[in-house]
Amino acid sequence: MFDFLKQYYPVFVEGTAQTIIISIIGIMIGILLGLVFVMMRLSKLKFLSYIARVYIAIVRGTPAMIQVMLIYYTLSKVLEVPQIQFLGSGLDRVIPGSIALGINSGAYTAEIFRSGIISISNGQTEAGLSLGLSDRTTMFSIVLPQAVRNILPALGNEFISLVKESSVLFYIGVQEVTAQALGVGGTLYDFVPPLIVAALIYFVLTFILSQLMQLLEKKMGRKYLRSN
Amino acid sequence: MSGEKNIIEVNGLKKAFGANVVLKDVSFEVKKSEKVVLIGASGSGKSTLLRCLNRLEDDYEGSVLFEGENVNGASKEKLRLLRQKMGMVFQQFNLFPHKTVLENITFSPIKLKIANSQAAIAHAHELLEQVGLSEKADAYPQSLSGGQQQRVAIARALAMKPEVMLFDEPTSALDPEMVGDVLDVMESLAQKGMTMIIVTHEMSFAQNIADKVLFMDDGLIADSGTAEYIFKETNNTRTRSFLSKVM
Ligand SMILES: Nc1ncnc2c1ncn2[C@@H]1O[C@H](COP(=O)(O)OP(=O)(O)OP(=O)(O)O)[C@@H](O)[C@H]1O
Ligand SMILES: [Mg+2]
Repeated sequence: MFDFLKQYYPVFVEGTAQTIIISIIGIMIGILLGLVFVMMRLSKLKFLSYIARVYIAIVRGTPAMIQVMLIYYTLSKVLEVPQIQFLGSGLDRVIPGSIALGINSGAYTAEIFRSGIISISNGQTEAGLSLGLSDRTTMFSIVLPQAVRNILPALGNEFISLVKESSVLFYIGVQEVTAQALGVGGTLYDFVPPLIVAALIYFVLTFILSQLMQLLEKKMGRKYLRSN
Repeated sequence: MSGEKNIIEVNGLKKAFGANVVLKDVSFEVKKSEKVVLIGASGSGKSTLLRCLNRLEDDYEGSVLFEGENVNGASKEKLRLLRQKMGMVFQQFNLFPHKTVLENITFSPIKLKIANSQAAIAHAHELLEQVGLSEKADAYPQSLSGGQQQRVAIARALAMKPEVMLFDEPTSALDPEMVGDVLDVMESLAQKGMTMIIVTHEMSFAQNIADKVLFMDDGLIADSGTAEYIFKETNNTRTRSFLSKVM
């Protein structure tokens, strides 16, 4: 059943590499945007908070596939990306595609950050401020590190779902692992075996990711409880 | 005991939370080295008053002067400098759980470039010795008892070399057997000449340490004077009825 892999395995390797790369870029942009938007969302300035709410509402309320296409077609008009081939796809598709993943993930990440920040007692902020620390230092050195520790499981879920959702980039012609599996299926006139292979690859990727997150959780958790 | 200079002057302080007027018209001063104790019923505004001094509560009327400088009018940068000079100790300790005891103490002085890290660490060890916790430098707060955490919190505030220490019920969250250790630390701080403003329900401690006692009632300083006066002589019926309930 899986004899085709002898011939087609390089295609899957390429697709897997592409999936990993777009996921990493998407996660990083997502974290960055998440931080920016959670700061806006919690800002005392009403209009910043409003912009952040609108962004989050739009991203959460519309299908990822449509977001990706809208961002791709808009960016391809304004952004001149040279037609360089990268792991079987043009950079003019990979770059807008990863940005779109990041923009999508940023909204969810912002909400996760927000839940983490409000879970940290106000006393922490007040202790920081009372020592003469700035708002920014108090946020980034006192509150956020504690918030991140509390939201690691939720962040892990978000990263895992981003890896899986990255398959939507298939619609704009990025040759990630789903697209490659469908391509192979087309030539074989049998979609099931290549799709099973793709599913297995996603499973392994997300499994590794969740193990990494658990390791990080353990590491951060242990530190808190170490006594002398 | 008390020097001449007013280090803090509060004039006509009014603070409301929405329709709830918590401080109605509060004025008092604190001289260098003076120990001022705030007493009063729950909800009378003691914490709010203390928090107005370093502007953890904002948007109040009236004025708070610290060494002649206006706290309520201060810019953000100025306010940070003023806060450094007013150490604050909270009922719930509020140690940073993700930092060790030593890091809790050294973080601000290093970050704010009050001291280089070597000097800050050396100072932190001195302070830990002073509060009797030398051996806990590398522990995390959660592994300490409440009393130990509160003593670390005092050391953390002292690391900024403050001119004044503000205490908001520092022993109220502690198991009774730990109260003494914290009060001892405060006592020795007082003997070193630190200016202190203390909200407490520990009346015998208040009586011992206070140069001046302010009795707060319903958003006003209803009665004030020496410990001798407040605890023994006053004819104020509200003071007497409050004291008879808590002592
Ligand atoms: N952030 C806030 N928002 C709204 N109301 C508040 C806030 N902080 C305090 N108050 C109100 O102000 C009043 C005085 O509170 P405060 O904490 O100053 O009293 P306290 O004298 O310290 O009491 P306790 O002995 O219980 O600590 C209370 O009625 C309280 O509900
Ligand atoms: Mg209080």
